Amino acid sequence: MITAALRALLLGAVTCLVSGCVTSTVDQMVFNKPEHGIGNATVVILGRRHASDYDTEPDFVECVGDHIASGDKTIHVIGELEFVNEFYPWFEPRTAPLQIADLERLMQNQPVVAKRLAAMNTQYMVWLDGSTVRGDSAGSMTCAVGPGGGGCFGFGTWSSDANYEATIWDFSEHAEVGRISTTATGQSYMPAVVIPIPIIAPVQGTACDGIGDQLLQFLSSNS
Amino acid sequence: MEALLSGSTASAPDFGRLLWLAGSFLLALLAGCGPAEVVVKGDFPAPTMEKLPLTIGVWYSPEFTNHEFFDEAKSRTESSWLVKTGQAQVQMWNTLLAGMFTRVVPMAGRPGPGQMNPSVDAVFIPEVAELQYALPTQTNVKVYEVWIRYHLQLVTTGGTPIADWTMPAYGKTPTAFLQSDQAAVNLAAVMTLRDAGANFASNFTRVPGVQAWLDEMLNTNREATL
Repeated sequence: MITAALRALLLGAVTCLVSGCVTSTVDQMVFNKPEHGIGNATVVILGRRHASDYDTEPDFVECVGDHIASGDKTIHVIGELEFVNEFYPWFEPRTAPLQIADLERLMQNQPVVAKRLAAMNTQYMVWLDGSTVRGDSAGSMTCAVGPGGGGCFGFGTWSSDANYEATIWDFSEHAEVGRISTTATGQSYMPAVVIPIPIIAPVQGTACDGIGDQLLQFLSSNS
Repeated sequence: MEALLSGSTASAPDFGRLLWLAGSFLLALLAGCGPAEVVVKGDFPAPTMEKLPLTIGVWYSPEFTNHEFFDEAKSRTESSWLVKTGQAQVQMWNTLLAGMFTRVVPMAGRPGPGQMNPSVDAVFIPEVAELQYALPTQTNVKVYEVWIRYHLQLVTTGGTPIADWTMPAYGKTPTAFLQSDQAAVNLAAVMTLRDAGANFASNFTRVPGVQAWLDEMLNTNREATL
């Protein structure tokens, strides 16, 4: 028993050393989960870009989409850029609907949008809102180059925080059917003895896995 | 000793090569001193919307089609910037207008008395009134930003004003990871042009002068159909 605990502790320490330490929490609030998955319907995942001080990163949106698509091959996830271009100019940062009522209004005013959404068989729209920011940093590093070669010496460390929320809209119910939020914090290190060795905490990746797993549970019939 | 000397002297063809190399090096140095140049390039999707049943003329002034913005460096550590948006502006507006109106006709000249132009319901004239940009080195914020303020006009073929208004557009790119300053400014400019298209398409019918003109035109067309 003690050996197993020690082994787990050692494994954790090694993982921390190799990739930096990350802690994450996921909260979810879901109302109407599809009982048999989403069938032939498609799902689109979009990032919120209307805030002045941050943008939801396109690669995070892509990561969540890939996580869902790889977790359940039957789910067809429409790419963000493909969707935004197909429905230009209605999903640009300036014009994107903030509430499902805004989307309903758009479909009434622009029937061509409603027709295209129906043709795509889109049942769920997932909005991702948040970002990963780099926090406090400490340490110092000096690098020098001479005729005989060059090198660095020192140690640097910094923290990163990821904070994301996913909002799920159901077109058939004309309602918001769930919210999932995730936070992840990690510490990255960069020791340098001649060569700097970055040990980066996969903060955004952990947040992507956390939110992706919950969305997969919501959308997939396998879960 | 002979070997050492032969290593440092050059024959006629070698001298030519050295001269060419020195010239290239000098040119590269001079290019490094010139302004950072961005010719904005991007793809602009056609709008998905109900077309207005009107024939619109469009006139792009030479200043608009060749629009460029030059910002001279204020210190030795900064670089001057030349951002050429004209080509991308025309590409975006042509795509947008073609998706908003039944027919779009380019005008031969600026509408006015005596100017021979094809017959259209109205002529749209866009102009760039102002362009600004911001780099992370200037703002300490990790985004590249571009603002454009447009001066837009809708006139009759005779040049009589129907509506005259200004429209802002803004675009930013969150990160320049693995890309140059030029590529990031290009992306921010493309985002700005997309925003301009979105702003125009979603608010055109609400511009006061345009609203009154549209009511008149659409009612006349409806009566003509009846």
